[in-house]
Amino acid sequence: MECVFGLVGDGFALVAADTSAVHSILVHKSNEDKVMILDSHKLLGASGEAGDRVQFTEYIQKNVHLYEFRNGIPLTTAATANFTRGELALALRKNPYFVNILLAGYDKNIGPSLYYIDYIATLHKVDKGAFGYGSYFTLSMMDRHYKSGMSLEEAIDLVDKCIIEIRSRLVVAPPNFVIKIVDKDGAREYAWRESIKDAGVSAA
Amino acid sequence: MLCRSDPITLRLVFDAFLGVQVALGFSFCYYIFLPDLPSLPRRPSALPSRSVAGRRNEPILAQSRMSRRYDSRTTIFSPEGRLYQVEYAMEAIGNAGAAIGILARDGVILVGEKKVTSKLLQTSRSTEKMYKIDDHLACAVAGIMSDANILINTARVQAQRYTFAYQEPMPVEQLVQSLCDTKQGYTQFGGLRPFGVSFLFAGWDKNYGFQLYMSDPSGNYSGWKAAAIGANNQAAQSMLKQDYKDDFTREEAVQLALKVLSKTMDSTSLTSEKLELAEIFVEPSGDVKYQVCKPELLEKLLVKHGVTQAATEST
Amino acid sequence: MKLDLSGLQSFPSIPGGAVDDLGEDLFAPPSFQLPACSDVPDSRASMGGYISSQSVKKIIEINPYMLGTMAGGAADCQFWHRNLGIKCRLHELANKRRISVTGASKLLANILYSYRGMGLSVGTMIAGWDEKGPGLYYVDSEGGRLKGTRFSVGSGSPYAYGVLDSGYRFDMPVEEAAELARRAIYHATFRDGASGGVASVYHVGPDGWKKLSGDDVGELHYKYYPVAPTPVEQEMTDAPAA
Repeated sequence: MECVFGLVGDGFALVAADTSAVHSILVHKSNEDKVMILDSHKLLGASGEAGDRVQFTEYIQKNVHLYEFRNGIPLTTAATANFTRGELALALRKNPYFVNILLAGYDKNIGPSLYYIDYIATLHKVDKGAFGYGSYFTLSMMDRHYKSGMSLEEAIDLVDKCIIEIRSRLVVAPPNFVIKIVDKDGAREYAWRESIKDAGVSAA
Repeated sequence: MLCRSDPITLRLVFDAFLGVQVALGFSFCYYIFLPDLPSLPRRPSALPSRSVAGRRNEPILAQSRMSRRYDSRTTIFSPEGRLYQVEYAMEAIGNAGAAIGILARDGVILVGEKKVTSKLLQTSRSTEKMYKIDDHLACAVAGIMSDANILINTARVQAQRYTFAYQEPMPVEQLVQSLCDTKQGYTQFGGLRPFGVSFLFAGWDKNYGFQLYMSDPSGNYSGWKAAAIGANNQAAQSMLKQDYKDDFTREEAVQLALKVLSKTMDSTSLTSEKLELAEIFVEPSGDVKYQVCKPELLEKLLVKHGVTQAATEST
Repeated sequence: MKLDLSGLQSFPSIPGGAVDDLGEDLFAPPSFQLPACSDVPDSRASMGGYISSQSVKKIIEINPYMLGTMAGGAADCQFWHRNLGIKCRLHELANKRRISVTGASKLLANILYSYRGMGLSVGTMIAGWDEKGPGLYYVDSEGGRLKGTRFSVGSGSPYAYGVLDSGYRFDMPVEEAAELARRAIYHATFRDGASGGVASVYHVGPDGWKKLSGDDVGELHYKYYPVAPTPVEQEMTDAPAA
């Protein structure tokens, strides 16, 4: 089942997520990208109900873009996190979105940052965070092995450790993962970790 | 919003949401109160009826009638493409107490001329031309104060809304723009009169540092290094243009502003009770500070810069 | 004024003439460019334990280039596919080009999402051909929308997936794909009580969709597993007289 986790390293932040689209016992797809590139320097990893996940993250993305078009300046990661939290809080007592979010970003003069936002609109600035069933393993793994100021290699090492742990300990472990990073050069896909290759064309 | 039993309404709503849903953070909703009747307002009977002799004067006559026909409503362009009501609003501001804003290296200063109407008048506020909008943002006003109060209130609300949504101070230009959107609305929608107010906005934000903006009743705004509004603003503006230097400190900026005001103000004497001075700057701690100059200090400044002619001229 | 209703016809419009008069070759598969999509649903409609119809058109022809499949509430699927057909046609009229499969499926997903929690039950695939080639999307009433190379929806879908996955390649020829799909549906109907009826196979190519086959799954069963004559092991004989 769903696993989204991320951490902040030295000059970068990273988000990893499983890539399974699951419906009860059925895996519809194993190359569904759940880490959205919000804008040039922001990543948004999301877990939750399929429809809500896509609709809400797109809604946030479009609003962040709109802000930039209107005002000529991008929103900072902190502002985006607060905005996202606000939208979740607004929806919470009407028709809540069941989405949990890890928002990673890089800002000039501030550096990399990671925000934990859950569907009941909790917002935390964190060094490392996780959502979904995978979090039961990855949170402790990251608590044990995370150091502040990790290099990219060390961080990827830790991510791989987490993925291995999920695959070996979680009953309903997803086969594939995607890792994305954001640093001064922008947000981008870093790598896929696939144990099942979905035949055919690349991810949607 | 959705009405379940009405598929047409729904369809319309969906059409508006095709593809992606972009919700606008704050969008203005203007209501048109009255449908504009196509008929023209009845012309005063004083206008001479056309005669052969009158026709010779046609151009002049046409023009005067033109301005009557087109100046009573804000929503109607004159054939020359002007909105008379908006121009009249600007005219009203030309009589108001002046205000000058100057951008300095280390801050922004605002100086305003208070029009003291009576010695008996008790002003409850410490400032009547300067208003703090948020911690990092203030404005100086020229024009109808009752109109200004409405706008200042909306500006403050906007600034707080922004902070509520993003947990950071509102960028200066965005606030100016949002206020000017309101002003613009009153030049376009039926049955309304424009705000008779010009503003000078002084502020600081993390993207563009210190900024100074000027706005007028039409809803236009622009950024300036030094700007003047209110009485004699053209004279003041040209003096500023002459004497402004890019590397001004706040103190030099104050000196220039006082000098300009002393020359453009109608009253012969420049005293602290006729002036207001406010500054925006960043403290060593990194916090933005809005500071209003105390009258005693202002008096000292006037003496120091030698612009107080009170003693010499009034006696 | 004559309205162009070609988008609403259930057959790809053929210039000049009634369909019946035309030779069989017109319906011959167009020169296929791989990959193509094929859709194979069964045709049973059930109401609880009662099978209300054995010949439902579970593939809904949205327009000559796009098909939708039906699973879940039949009325919901039918209604929203027709609605989608209208929107696609309007898009075509407004933009002078056909809507992409991506766009059409997003349109449907957004509609379904806006009704989320109100009891709609739709599980559908949108298959079509657009400027980017073939497209296949899975869309459901929870608002889910997935792009993919193969999907299976409905109560029998896990059974179908079993067969589909074991035989699927991205570069398989159309005939093979059609047979794989047919086989997947057959096996799903065999195991799933709520699936049955006819397995229809459609192909969507660059020139639009075309129905390849429609087989009664009962007959398919005997085709795939012909009745083998069982040798007589014992014959009844008269009991030997005591």
